[in-house]
Amino acid sequence: MFFRFVAESLRRSPRRKAMTVLAIAMGTAIATAMLGVVLDIGDKINLELQSLGANILITPKPTPNNARAFLPESQIPKIKSIFWQLNLTGFMPSLTETAQASGSPVAVRGVWFNREYRTPDGRVLRTGAQAVNPSWRIDGRWVLKSNECLAGVTLANRLNLKKGSQLTLFGETFLVTGILKTGADEDDQILIELATLQHLTGHVGDVDSVQVAALTKPEDDFARKDPARMSSQELERWSCTNYVRSITHQIEGVLPMANARPVWRVAESEGRVLSKISGLMLLIAIAALAAAALTVWSVMATTMLERRGEIAIMQATGGTDRMIASLFGAEIVVLALLGGTIGVLAGLQLAHWVGNTVFRTGIEIPTILAPLSLLIAMTIALAGAYPPLRKSLLREPAIALRERV
Amino acid sequence: MYWVFVKQAMRLRARRLLLAFSALAVAAALATALFSIYSDVERRVRAEFSTYGANLLITSRTTVPLSAVETARKLGAVAAPFAFATGTLMSQPVSLAGVDLQTAGELTKFWHVEGSREGCLIGVNVAQRFHLQIGAIAPLEAIPCQITGIVSTGAAEDNELILPFSQVAKLANLTNAANLIQIRAPGDRLESIRASLQSSYPTTEIRIVEAIAETETSVVRKIRVALFLLLAVILVITTMSVSSNFSELVMERSREIGILKAIGAAERKIASLFVTESILLALASALAGYFAGLFLAGWIGQSVFAAPFTIHIQFPVLAAATALTLAVALAATALAASSIWRIQPSRILRGE
Repeated sequence: MFFRFVAESLRRSPRRKAMTVLAIAMGTAIATAMLGVVLDIGDKINLELQSLGANILITPKPTPNNARAFLPESQIPKIKSIFWQLNLTGFMPSLTETAQASGSPVAVRGVWFNREYRTPDGRVLRTGAQAVNPSWRIDGRWVLKSNECLAGVTLANRLNLKKGSQLTLFGETFLVTGILKTGADEDDQILIELATLQHLTGHVGDVDSVQVAALTKPEDDFARKDPARMSSQELERWSCTNYVRSITHQIEGVLPMANARPVWRVAESEGRVLSKISGLMLLIAIAALAAAALTVWSVMATTMLERRGEIAIMQATGGTDRMIASLFGAEIVVLALLGGTIGVLAGLQLAHWVGNTVFRTGIEIPTILAPLSLLIAMTIALAGAYPPLRKSLLREPAIALRERV
Repeated sequence: MYWVFVKQAMRLRARRLLLAFSALAVAAALATALFSIYSDVERRVRAEFSTYGANLLITSRTTVPLSAVETARKLGAVAAPFAFATGTLMSQPVSLAGVDLQTAGELTKFWHVEGSREGCLIGVNVAQRFHLQIGAIAPLEAIPCQITGIVSTGAAEDNELILPFSQVAKLANLTNAANLIQIRAPGDRLESIRASLQSSYPTTEIRIVEAIAETETSVVRKIRVALFLLLAVILVITTMSVSSNFSELVMERSREIGILKAIGAAERKIASLFVTESILLALASALAGYFAGLFLAGWIGQSVFAAPFTIHIQFPVLAAATALTLAVALAATALAASSIWRIQPSRILRGE
């Protein structure tokens, strides 16, 4: 009997039911799409900010007698064994020496451009300048062979070098494959393969700095605490958060001969920009959710208002309040499930579409989001229907019926 | 007579109208808030990027005239001169940098300084090498000074001793000149500021710090596009749902239409009655929603960007929000009004 009532009610006036389903579907779609995008946009912008270059610099600890210090190149891959190894998106060991070119001193820097290396646990990966500095602009192409080099734009102008020119350094001839423009130190340097420079200058196996790009969490007050003064619980929480300082701390742990320091220009500003953008998106999401809730609420309120007559008839024919309420409740649950499912599916599509259009990658959506949105849609629909339903139930059926006719 | 109808309709159906009014007002408020945020987001995000420090550097093979600092400031940029020299500390060479942190503002805001930002600052690597602490005297040969702070930036400053600009400039024999001028120019005018500085100082070399300028441009663009798409999604969905809701409210007036037709009202007259009512309702909702939206946008600006709570009255935003609300109301009414011609009074009044 109960189910026949519900089924009948759903069959009758399909247009109005479709409206309700549509409203719920739309509200749920906004909610799902917004939450999907907002939950993921922080990571996307963080990746975008990686184009600023390295946010950690590793240098050798100064020696007491002020002699030049080096780091052993063979030890550098050890940084890929720290807890946050997956957050290290790239690193670039380098060595800078001075050479004579056309009678004047020039800075020559040997770097990894895109080198294969073996991690301590045996995996073979590639990294280098191309991974750490994706924003480097090269007029020409990257260095591929040991007798090729890139020339910084300022230096190239001074020495009159062009793409394809020849240049003699340390008695060897190099082909300029491209002109590099960064606006920073590299504009005044010649860049060659690290191994070539080490070989030519007798510094085999030595590097004097390593640039590291890491995905980090913006600093908060907790991040700024001194790890030496933390309790063991705090230290554990601190180490298990990808703050830039806890990453540098771990790097110093595997490379005891080195200082690992955050490049604050990049690290600090990254955090600021990131937290502002995530905050903005979150608030917009809240505003959109509130609006979605209101629309679902109002459509439910409207439909319930219209069905006062129906309620009065049921009351007059002996339906108890509890029974009538559960009838309408069941109907709303069915409508909300239908609308909610359509909405969640549409919302996921919308989130992916935004992700693909803006960031050229899909959005990663946590699986919990779909059932959560569905549950919220149902709760709001029931909450919207409740006040008018209660009001109708409290009225004398006779009065309601007379008003209707 | 016509206005009596309109007025009475509003008075007698107050509850229903309130529902319609609030649905429209929510759409208007959301539209206003989203338009306001969108029109402002580029400026705000660019302002956040100012903490990245300089995006323009003026260098030269000789020296850079100090007047370039004033020129850059007049163009609306933040600028500070730097001087470099080599000093001797405990009979070892050490790099000296001269800059006034108080006037450098945003350019050195990202420097991590332990202690005071004024006076004689020491790079963290230099401090480690010479075992110097805050309060100790750095026995620099030319100008011994008491260390007031330790600087950590992760860049060249870590290996330098940082002194006031005038002291280092004197050591380096610079008069009215600097070795380097760092400039933070507003991101959207970067290229034009660079060009105008280059034409004023043709002998210098002016570089754009590509990594910063490019990242700023690309992040700003992506945020704008993402926001735009989200706004479009929200607005389209809200609009559709509000208009279906609103048309439902108009639809249920078939009895009223039946009575009006039975007492001899022309269809056109009834339709115009409905349209007038909807327009009045939409205008009122738009106005209420507009102000609610302004508060919403102000609140978001305040809590995200820590900007003072401001209410900007921008005419284009008001116009867009009003147009949207009117369009929603009219579209919904048109849908409902088309049924006026189809309704047969006798059948409706009999209760079918």
